[in-house]
Amino acid sequence: MSTITSARPETATPGATAARRRRLRARRLEPFAYIAPAFVALAVIIGYPVFNAIGTSFLNASLLRPGQDTFAGLANYSNLFASPTFWTVTARTLVWAGAALVVQVGLGLLIATTLNKRLLARGAIRTTLIVPWVVPTVLVALIWRFLLDPVSGPINSVLRSSGLLDDPPVWLADPTWALPVLVLISAWKWTPFTAVILLAGMQQIPPEQYEAAMVDGASPWQRFFHVTIPSIRTSLALVTLTTISGAINNFNGIWMFTRGGPVGATEILTTYAYRTAFMEFDFGKASAISVVIFVLMMVLAVTYFYVVEGRKGEKR
Amino acid sequence: MRRTRTRASFGAHLVAVVLILGTVLPFLWMLVSSFKTPSELNGVDKRLLPSGLFLGNYTKLLDTNFLTYFGNSVIVAAATTIVALLLAILAGYGFARFTFIGNRGMLLVVVAAQMFPAVMLAIPLFITVKNLGLLDSLVGLVVVYVSFALPFCIWLMRNYFLAVPVETEEAALIDGCTRFRALWRVVLPPALPGVMAAAVFTIIQVWEEFLYANTFIDTDSKRTLSVGLNSLIGEFTTDWGRLLAAGVLVMIPVLLIFGYLQRYVTQIAGGGVKG
Repeated sequence: MSTITSARPETATPGATAARRRRLRARRLEPFAYIAPAFVALAVIIGYPVFNAIGTSFLNASLLRPGQDTFAGLANYSNLFASPTFWTVTARTLVWAGAALVVQVGLGLLIATTLNKRLLARGAIRTTLIVPWVVPTVLVALIWRFLLDPVSGPINSVLRSSGLLDDPPVWLADPTWALPVLVLISAWKWTPFTAVILLAGMQQIPPEQYEAAMVDGASPWQRFFHVTIPSIRTSLALVTLTTISGAINNFNGIWMFTRGGPVGATEILTTYAYRTAFMEFDFGKASAISVVIFVLMMVLAVTYFYVVEGRKGEKR
Repeated sequence: MRRTRTRASFGAHLVAVVLILGTVLPFLWMLVSSFKTPSELNGVDKRLLPSGLFLGNYTKLLDTNFLTYFGNSVIVAAATTIVALLLAILAGYGFARFTFIGNRGMLLVVVAAQMFPAVMLAIPLFITVKNLGLLDSLVGLVVVYVSFALPFCIWLMRNYFLAVPVETEEAALIDGCTRFRALWRVVLPPALPGVMAAAVFTIIQVWEEFLYANTFIDTDSKRTLSVGLNSLIGEFTTDWGRLLAAGVLVMIPVLLIFGYLQRYVTQIAGGGVKG
């Protein structure tokens, strides 16, 4: 696919010049006819709210006093940056994203490398592995809350009956355990998919490259670092960025499992913003928090664009 | 060399078996447990497998609005997918075949739009949807979901259209076909796997979505599956039987759609990676 660029029909069709000129003129506006419907939808439902949220972050805005917003300047931001809670939550968000990256991409690489070997029924294995990814989060929450149920859940009863732990934690209600458990459950849902993307990348590598490396006497580790990793750079960049952005943006999973609790142990920026908006009704402060998330995400988006799309553009 | 391959493949199979078990066991446990009687579920009656096919959990589930949630999700998913695909095919084609002012900038917008924090948009969207008079309605959800599915669908369609040789539509244009007709008749058929992949992506997203459905819908009978099921989890934390039965029913269509469309799922990933 990489070799095909958006070729221009005129250059390839030496036709009647008049008709060609007419088509060229129509062409200036023509692309917008195709793109406009989608962009109108995007502008109304995504574009406008983004600017609106940025604007609201400079207001004293509350759901409790509709229509009485006043200009607050940078007060929302200065209050936020002065609050220790904000920094704790930001730090936790970064830890959460970092843990997701290490577990999901690290484990994903390991799984993909393993499955890249000759395997019986590889298609069936790959298909089974992505099931957690297509299953809605609410079902993941249902299943894992049942498995981890402190009283009737099978995990704790196995721990108890096997004598491993006489008094197993109440996992999701335990401030020490809640976040690590959520990291693992989220990895259960996402790692297989990461692995499938990386596997797809690995399968594009011509076997000759490995054979050449083997002739040169490269060890399996050397082959992994000098052949596999450089060859799947694009897939790796993609899963790295989607994993980080998915973790920073995660709301559903955390909300359905713990709502940011117990005692704030799983609160990240998104749940913090939601709580501030819809439970404390402080839209101004909530918008300021969401602008912080937004800035984090845009850094990632621009990076993605230049890593993946920028490289393609150079070839053109 | 052959010997190392055989050895490696034994280890690989072992890893594969462990992974499959880790993936499948939780679902299997849900299925099996959904047929357990309350005393078996509570651990009063200790046994690994249910004593019989107890259907009480399923019949109890019908006392709730579960089937309504289910229907709502199906309606919203179908409507969203159709509208999003129509818009994405047009826009994807526009990006793939034309070079125009702002081309790269708009493409950047498309990529960036996928990454806007959902929570950030929740507050202003709540107000917009309210102003449009679409609060507490499935139509409102469809409008919002279409826009959220669009960026990735456009991106995917663009990449698929880039792979369709320009010569095919040139031939159609020379034959007097308009470009618009050529798109549907000649360019779209070879890009059909892309359309399917975009459809899968959209359906999965709608099935999954919780935040907006939770914020925009008030009436219980208009809730979608995510919100409805989550409210059941909250309400009946101890009644695992009924919840597990619901989980099994949610799983069935997911598996059916997935089984039919699974080969396109990997192409969703490919759509972003290719190039």
